[in-house]
Amino acid sequence: MLIEIDNLHVSVEGAEIIKGLNLNIGPGEVHAIMGPNGSGKSTLAQTIAGHGDYEVTNGSIRFNGTDLLDMEADERARAGVFLSFQYPVEIPGVSNVYLLKAALNARRKAAGEPEIDAVEFMRFIREKASLMELDQQFLSRGVNEGFSGGEKKRNEIFQMAVLEPTFAVLDETDSGLDIDALKVVANGVNQQRSADRSFLLITHYQRLLDYVQPDFVHVLANGRIIRSGDKSLALELEENGYDDVLAAANG
Amino acid sequence: MSNNLTSLTNTLATIRQARTGQATPWLRDAQDAALNRIIDNGFPSTRQENWKYTDVRKLAEAYPRWLENRPKPVADGQRQTIDLENALHLVFVDGQFNREASSESLPAGLFAGSLEEIAATQPELLQNHLQRLEAVADSPFVALNTAFGESAVLLLVADGAVIDQPVYIEHFSATDELSAQTRLIVDLGRNSQVSIFEHFASNAAVITNSLAEFCCREGSRLTYCKLQQEHTSAWHVANQYVRLDRDATALTTTVDAGALLARNELNIELAESGAHASSNGLLLADNDRHVESRINVHHAAPDTTSRERYRSVLSDRARGVFNGRILVDSEAQKTAAELTNRNLLLSTGAEINTKPELEIYADDVKCAHGATTGQLDERSLFYLLTRGIDLQSARNMLVRAFASELVADIAVPAVAERTGELLTEIRYTPS
Repeated sequence: MLIEIDNLHVSVEGAEIIKGLNLNIGPGEVHAIMGPNGSGKSTLAQTIAGHGDYEVTNGSIRFNGTDLLDMEADERARAGVFLSFQYPVEIPGVSNVYLLKAALNARRKAAGEPEIDAVEFMRFIREKASLMELDQQFLSRGVNEGFSGGEKKRNEIFQMAVLEPTFAVLDETDSGLDIDALKVVANGVNQQRSADRSFLLITHYQRLLDYVQPDFVHVLANGRIIRSGDKSLALELEENGYDDVLAAANG
Repeated sequence: MSNNLTSLTNTLATIRQARTGQATPWLRDAQDAALNRIIDNGFPSTRQENWKYTDVRKLAEAYPRWLENRPKPVADGQRQTIDLENALHLVFVDGQFNREASSESLPAGLFAGSLEEIAATQPELLQNHLQRLEAVADSPFVALNTAFGESAVLLLVADGAVIDQPVYIEHFSATDELSAQTRLIVDLGRNSQVSIFEHFASNAAVITNSLAEFCCREGSRLTYCKLQQEHTSAWHVANQYVRLDRDATALTTTVDAGALLARNELNIELAESGAHASSNGLLLADNDRHVESRINVHHAAPDTTSRERYRSVLSDRARGVFNGRILVDSEAQKTAAELTNRNLLLSTGAEINTKPELEIYADDVKCAHGATTGQLDERSLFYLLTRGIDLQSARNMLVRAFASELVADIAVPAVAERTGELLTEIRYTPS
């Protein structure tokens, strides 16, 4: 089991958002989490990534058998956890290429590998950039500087493709995307699917799941997973909304 | 009047007695006049507006005593020389010109040595310079520099001459409790160009009193970069005066990254139409250091433009002071001036006092000024962490990003690199 989340309770600013969440993700699996606004989806994503504002008051998260909560955010990333942000921040003055090289080398160093060769690195990232339909010029610009929402999301998936994580959490990657951008992003994700890589897609709408077919779909409401199923569950939610599922869980 | 200052008369007399060689009468007169000014006016106090945030009492107490000390021999390999390819290298140690360490053959027009030597070879230039300073400089530190300075660089660039090699003036102080006065005099002929890098470093508790004057004649182009990375116990006071004639351009960068207390004052006069000044300043301080940078830009003619960008990075309990003043005369119509100051505080104990000033007497101008102060952006930090960058490296990245525009503007790559390194040496105080 790659990820084992057991009875997770998370509070932010004193308010409990996640109230006993259980989730197991095996290697190579794609899981989708859907749910109404305020259900705790982003909280879950940020908690997995290690954001300091989110306080785990109970429960555990194990990553490849190790205690993930015991690791700082940067340690988790070097160990193979990746978060694609819902609202990626702009960082003028830190170029995309500089960030990626530093990140890639940090990962390698943690794994006991040598730093990547400069020429090979450029070839590698250029290839990934063109896959994500990003103009090569952006590489020397500041991270997300001057990017539209769609470009920022493509940049997130581009970074994921470069860093090759073991476990990628995509926080509402599809929100704000038009159909063309969505297809590019979905293609980028699909290209990264492998037996060694797992995904947690946090999504509000079902649309992304047409292109990135999940193995499992979970409904998160009021800080808990109230229903799990396969990809047909997503279609059911799209048609009927969350009411039925919520009623069934409370009833 | 304190006993402290009257002793200066004896100190100067003693120093003169120890000197060998012919003394130039008009030079001695200028020195005496300067000395009298100091004795009459004393050191500045924090009650004076221009010195409000920088308390120089301890410096004022030490300076007259330290003037009595003489340089001691300095072992090789102590300097913090920056490796500049193809530069005209002038080395000053403890305020004295070091001919052996400097470039062998200097081009015509470049003189370095004792003030007496320069007075002998270029009397007119030196006299004119002293007279011009008389009119503009009311700082007691300028007066002290004139009274007690022993060496100088004089650069006279002929009309139309483009100096390819950067001029690297390296000042290093190594003798404890010594004060070094440095002087740079530059006269750029019409349509000439030069790039000058003045570097200040020390490894002892010293006082550096630096003075630079630049006359930029019609169509000339001056690039001047000053990097100060003095010892943590040193005091550094620097004054620069730039005068721009018609269509002349000055691109200046001052980096103050060292010393216990540092104050840099840059004065630019856009005297004739078409003149342009672009000035960048970087202040870096940690621990209990105090760093002040002032820029005064005087638009005295129509169709002149200036842009001033000053940034500070302060941590621990450091104190930064920035004062940017733009004065636009009534006849300076069509002036365009832009002044921005951004400050990054890396700890709750760090403090910045920032004052942009605009004094505008013309009515057809475009003048803008702004100042912002903030901390490292938490969201940006977290973003970098989630990419696997460790916290210290992430902070360094953001600090470098903050100063990147200014560092990118530094004309000499090796100096930009050294500045980048100094940026990453700023310590953080965990809050």
